[in-house]
Amino acid sequence: MSENRRQILQMLSEGKISADEAERLISALEEPAAATPPSGSGSEAKPRPKYLRVQVDSEDDGAHEGPTKVNVRVPMQLLRAGVKLAGLIPAQALHRANDAIQKEGIGIDLTQIKAENLEELVEQLNDLSVDIDQKDRESKVRVKVFCE
Amino acid sequence: MIPFVAMVSVRGRESRTFRLWVPLFLVWLLLIPLAALLSPVIFIVCLAFRVNPFRGFAAAWQLLTALSHTECAVEHGSAGVSFYIL
Repeated sequence: MSENRRQILQMLSEGKISADEAERLISALEEPAAATPPSGSGSEAKPRPKYLRVQVDSEDDGAHEGPTKVNVRVPMQLLRAGVKLAGLIPAQALHRANDAIQKEGIGIDLTQIKAENLEELVEQLNDLSVDIDQKDRESKVRVKVFCE
Repeated sequence: MIPFVAMVSVRGRESRTFRLWVPLFLVWLLLIPLAALLSPVIFIVCLAFRVNPFRGFAAAWQLLTALSHTECAVEHGSAGVSFYIL
């Protein structure tokens, strides 16, 4: 017996609440449990996000001009189309880009990135959520990247 | 469907909000003859770089149609600029 149910029965036995009230309270206790599907069943269908959103909030930097806010909303469809277009980059251009990237010390081989992989990458963005808070003496910046 | 209208809104510190509706369909109308003229050149360039031109056109078209509902807004104090593609 749960603690809540025990408390309700205790109040009923002490005459603090009537039998009807006790019944209502117990059914109210049972309702959320019945409404919630068992966790880990994977039956919850998450709606597919439509937009990638980037929000930047920067508080007053001391110049008394007010806060700065940037709000960008990009359709996921646009990302997919961009990825498809990027998949058409000719091999010569990819090799040149690879050389430039490796000169900067970044170990990414662009020739290994295929259109199918990029599509998968965009799909995985659905669960992306990045929160960055930067606080120092003069300014406070908050960056949020998420899908909605 | 490709976007037909974009909206640019500019708000000054002390002035009123200035909203400009940009008829993108006019831009598309102007670009259609240009694209028709350039298509053989684009086709040859695609073949030279071993890119399937039809896949290229399809991807570019998809990019155009996906532009709808793109939004960008920047505010600084009481001033701000926003851009929205309908």
